[in-house]
Amino acid sequence: MIKLSRISKSFGKNQVLKDITLSVEKGEVVVILGPSGSGKTTLLRCLNYLERPNDGTIAIGDYTVDCKHAGKKDIHQLRQKSAMVFQHYNLFKHKTALENVMEGLVIVQKLPKEEARKRSVEVLEKVGLGAKLDAYPSQLSGGQQQRVGIARALALNPEVILFDEPTSALDPELVGEVLDVIRKIANEGITMIVVTHEMSFAREVSNHVVFMDGGVIVEEGKPNELFGAPKEERTKQFLKRITSDWVYNI
Amino acid sequence: MGKKFDINYVLDFIPKLLSYLDITLFIVTASLVFGLLIGFLVALPRMYNVPVLKRVSQVYVSFFRGTPILIQLFLVYYGVPELFKLVNIDLSRTDVLVFVILSYSLHSGAFISEGIRAAVNGVERGQVEAAYSVGMNGFQAFTRIILPQALAISVPIFANLTIANLKDTSLAFTLGAMEMTGKSQTLGTATQHFIETYIALSLIYFVISTVLERAFHYVERRLLKHEKQLVQHGHRSRKRSLWGKPLVTRIEEGG
Repeated sequence: MIKLSRISKSFGKNQVLKDITLSVEKGEVVVILGPSGSGKTTLLRCLNYLERPNDGTIAIGDYTVDCKHAGKKDIHQLRQKSAMVFQHYNLFKHKTALENVMEGLVIVQKLPKEEARKRSVEVLEKVGLGAKLDAYPSQLSGGQQQRVGIARALALNPEVILFDEPTSALDPELVGEVLDVIRKIANEGITMIVVTHEMSFAREVSNHVVFMDGGVIVEEGKPNELFGAPKEERTKQFLKRITSDWVYNI
Repeated sequence: MGKKFDINYVLDFIPKLLSYLDITLFIVTASLVFGLLIGFLVALPRMYNVPVLKRVSQVYVSFFRGTPILIQLFLVYYGVPELFKLVNIDLSRTDVLVFVILSYSLHSGAFISEGIRAAVNGVERGQVEAAYSVGMNGFQAFTRIILPQALAISVPIFANLTIANLKDTSLAFTLGAMEMTGKSQTLGTATQHFIETYIALSLIYFVISTVLERAFHYVERRLLKHEKQLVQHGHRSRKRSLWGKPLVTRIEEGG
């Protein structure tokens, strides 16, 4: 469904992604883990072409883009096939929750307004915001804003939804409501790639875990394999530091 | 100086001065329109980091922000014809208003370019990325997402500038331009009632400035309806008239 091959990306002299090759099946929930600076967010942003990879190919569905020679049309096509949920929500501040969700449908997908509205209301109800249609982002809590962000991505009906650390800007007590919504979408069989630090959530929801460090994929596999019996030394180290159950064995 | 104070002259002068209001407003409007044009052109190289032009626009902005408007008027009025003489064009018969408008346009262009830069930078980069990620192109992202918010942010800047410009036009009389202040000079000389002309003049400027201030405040509230505090403020004060609101709420409410 999604095939990345030999993706490279440098910022100046700093090579952030080195020859990344990854394939994702339809309906899979992929979680990307890794320490900060490992390139996981950059990889996600490359998929949406918010960062321009220097080399490699990206294929989503039946559309393949050669990153070296990607033109405007390629980028546009690729972006239409994916949707992004941002760490800082990035809602359109001058638009209501409903307008935020409708914007892409009306302006990009050229849906008639009534139809766009109907679909947007449906999606917002799904994320539990049916009562907040006319609220502006400044009137919503962080968790609610992020759920609007998810609704905005979901409404576009993309082939894959990309989540860039969707809960790391939230108050701890608001994390749950957002994870619940993501879990719900995952259960509907929508393909997702999630960058997150929520280990227990990753383990529970995903069916494909990727561990990155230093711009390469160190290890990937089923959650049970990777969390239960990691093969690589670097993965073991990382999981040990992050999953904290041993701390209490004093 | 002059004759004994007589309040009747104030009332007598107001309509006479008002008949020159159109010239004052013409100078303000024309210089703002040209200023916007200049401001936009000057802001572009700085927003997009164009190597040499960026320096040029920096020098332009700091010169016109760093020198008094009166000096700028003299420089343009006496300096520009000299420059044109070098290429054998005679500007000695050109209407003084042309130089006045040129000076004020260059002056407000410097301030407007800074305003535009601040306003566009005021819209988070993340929203542009979000616009791209839902599939918008650059033009759509600019017109649908950045521009509406940048406009709202720039209203207070623009309001200050307009009012400052209105008051600054009073200096145009030093070049002999016949706008309101220029007229007041001739009225004063003719009747020897200078104080009365100044009172009449200040009343007119004050009323127009206040009307402009209210108008901009109203526009700003309309454009910023998505800001939480302003919405609440709007609810509280809805019962009071447009005129009943404090003049300096802008600072508390923030941009």
